[in-house]
Amino acid sequence: MSRQTKAFVKGVKVSERHGAGEWTAERLSSLILIPLALWALWSGFSIAGAGYEGVLDWVSNRVNAALLAATILISIWHMNMGAKVIVDDYIHTPGSNRALSALIGLGCLLLAAASVFFITRLALGSAPLPAGLAF
Amino acid sequence: MSNASPGAPLDTSNDPTGDQTGRFVIQPNGRPRPLSPHLQVWRFHATMTGSILNRMAAGALSVGSVFFVAWLAAAAFGPEAYATFSGLMGSPVGLLIWFGITLAAAYHLTAGVRHLIWDAGSSLSPKAATSLTWLSLWGALVIAVGFWAILFATGKVTL
Repeated sequence: MSRQTKAFVKGVKVSERHGAGEWTAERLSSLILIPLALWALWSGFSIAGAGYEGVLDWVSNRVNAALLAATILISIWHMNMGAKVIVDDYIHTPGSNRALSALIGLGCLLLAAASVFFITRLALGSAPLPAGLAF
Repeated sequence: MSNASPGAPLDTSNDPTGDQTGRFVIQPNGRPRPLSPHLQVWRFHATMTGSILNRMAAGALSVGSVFFVAWLAAAAFGPEAYATFSGLMGSPVGLLIWFGITLAAAYHLTAGVRHLIWDAGSSLSPKAATSLTWLSLWGALVIAVGFWAILFATGKVTL
């Protein structure tokens, strides 16, 4: 927190701590999520009511699987940054702030790992899960 | 205003590490530093309501992400698990949950675009900011209600 940099870019002073990088990451993830959200809405319409076979058929398309993974991972990244901002807004005790941020980060990591695992299995047409996990 | 409020830690008055909210910082004249007004004193206006709703939508979407991963898990666990999941999610309560997720996603999208327009330095006058906020609110409602109206009209979803 006490690290001080006196960097200037084009005559404008750069944030003394770490605000600029987070600001840019928030905007970048938002920009990427605009087309992905519209794609997700359209995909939701096309697979609504399609049932198990329909979903498996849809996700076996590599483009769909890749876009689905990208949408979920970038959403979780964006979600983690947003949750951290809310924690910073309301939790002012440094210890609790760090603990809660770490907990949220762990939850996001878990969600991300689980979704990549499930999407990969579905896209590759692996056998339903308990069978695959047992051996 | 009288002297320091009761419970104010006077001994750490000007130590910013003790109280990071700055709520009990004592001025040189011995009085607590005045606070900026918070929600209960503000008259609600469109941009403020839009921002609060956007944060609420973000929270709802965080919960919604768990439902999305549960859907992926159900598919990965095979036909029986998927049938159980879609049975639950196809019930009136389940459909209401997914409508809520759609509405939250639609508003987080339109409000996010609104925010990016502001970040680019446009529509920052009070009048333009208010119109943009109303546009994002109505836009989200049209997207979410329209999406589900089409789902029901095409028979993809039935009650």
